[in-house]
Amino acid sequence: MEPKILKVKNGDVTKTINEFLKELLNSGKVHSLLVPQAVPSKKMVFPVLISDSNQLNADVFAPLLPASTARIISKMTKFQATKEPIGVVLRSCQIRALVELVKLNQANLENIIIIGVDCLGTFSIDSFVNFSEGKTPTEFILEAFKEKGNSSDKYLRSACCVCKDPIPTNADITIGVYGVDLDKEVLIDVATKAGEKVIEDLKLDDTKSVKEREKSIKTIREEKTKKRTEFVKEKRSINGIAALSEFFDKCINCHNCMTVCPICYCKECLYDSSVFDAEAYKFLRKADRKGLFKMPNDSLLFHLGKMNHMILSCVECGLCEQGCPSNIPLMDVFIPAAENAQKEFDYHPGKDPEEKIPMIVYREDEYLEVGEK
Amino acid sequence: MIEKEKEPKTEEFEPKIVGFLCNWCSYAGADLAGTSRIQYPPNVRIIRVMCSGSVDSMYILRALLEGADGVFIGGCHPGDCHYIDGNYKARRRIVLLKDILNTFGIEKERVWVRWISASEGQKFAETMREMTEEIRKLGPNPIAKQWNI
Ligand code: SF4
Ligand code: SF4
Ligand code: FES
Repeated sequence: MEPKILKVKNGDVTKTINEFLKELLNSGKVHSLLVPQAVPSKKMVFPVLISDSNQLNADVFAPLLPASTARIISKMTKFQATKEPIGVVLRSCQIRALVELVKLNQANLENIIIIGVDCLGTFSIDSFVNFSEGKTPTEFILEAFKEKGNSSDKYLRSACCVCKDPIPTNADITIGVYGVDLDKEVLIDVATKAGEKVIEDLKLDDTKSVKEREKSIKTIREEKTKKRTEFVKEKRSINGIAALSEFFDKCINCHNCMTVCPICYCKECLYDSSVFDAEAYKFLRKADRKGLFKMPNDSLLFHLGKMNHMILSCVECGLCEQGCPSNIPLMDVFIPAAENAQKEFDYHPGKDPEEKIPMIVYREDEYLEVGEK
Repeated sequence: MIEKEKEPKTEEFEPKIVGFLCNWCSYAGADLAGTSRIQYPPNVRIIRVMCSGSVDSMYILRALLEGADGVFIGGCHPGDCHYIDGNYKARRRIVLLKDILNTFGIEKERVWVRWISASEGQKFAETMREMTEEIRKLGPNPIAKQWNI
């Protein structure tokens, strides 16, 4: 289906999209929508599951990812697919996380209509709540985007600064802004039959600006990939046990990085279990061996162990870093580890629902050198 | 006086190696080495596991972070795993583990994997000799002294 557009009224992009979403709800093609919307205090924006179109006031470009939206969908669908269609508005990293959760049997996409939004990046919760540029963070980031400036860069979370895939993949419908003149229009790109069915009754206009969009997407991908490569190179300094343990010096073993990660779905994490509690004498023998050791212990064991369990599926959303109460810049270690491990197995988390997670498959004729020399 | 566990003072560094051996092949291989009275260095502390595929990365990491100088994983030859594909999966897991260690400059050379069958007592003894010497050359695991991890 050829991409469509929504004509922007009075320069208000957010309002235009709300009208579109309202029509979707009213058409009855979806029972409900999961959309980002401000809480009554207006301080925060959270995903809301909304069925009453009169109360819809979505803020789809709000530069904030308070929690994993993929996780929320997993919560609603892992026991049973939804019988009534739900439209879910997601950023690209959350679609990738959702695809990984589907592969892990933690979510079911039946009757889930994925409405992807081009991502302009997100701010830390602090910057968002205490935003003091005289306008809302959403207004600010949309204006910065229209001016093609980088004034919002200083507020972006590090994960967003180096995100090479801000354009949704695997969406049924994409709300596009890259390569689009936002003063006039917003792109509605429908990629699947399910998406077509949902919008078939809506009146949308055709567009001619597809070429512009392709160019713009290419540019942003190149720019961000370059930034990411530099980032990974810079972080090579976290090398060796001394540097790595110093990196985690502020870690208080709260395991929140794991709790908020969309990929870490286990109800009881091995590293949270009582496996590591033992009789006092075992601790004493360790003290004898080392002379002394820091408590709580096993913090690096947790981080490296967790990485081994989930890094291949890491979608680089940066929620771990955002959730760390000690402000440890976790992306400094997760992005390089993900980059290397995913390259080793030629795996692209969230890209293709058919691509198997490397740890559950194997080939007999691979890694023949392992175990032979 | 409370007796404290102290390192014996020896001239030469004696590597401590933790070995995870699968019940059906490598453990039996080690057993054969023993019953056939084939000499091999006493540096390896053997832990019997049901399959190389049951060795979670956590076991290996824990041994390394607790200060083991080497970690050995022994399994059946590819194709011979008693649970059909445990060692194929172990192989991928170890590739991943080493990749992560490599990203952070932690010596992946301390982790060894070998496929040793129940009849290969000789191979087991030789492998232990080889590994002990290689780890001796590497020297003590620096993580042993790192107490703030
Ligand atoms: S490890 Fe961090 S960046 Fe990766 S998926 Fe989990 S929360 Fe997101
Ligand atoms: S959230 Fe931060 S402090 Fe808590 S375990 Fe993770 S790295 Fe450590
Ligand atoms: S039983 Fe020996 S490797 Fe699986």
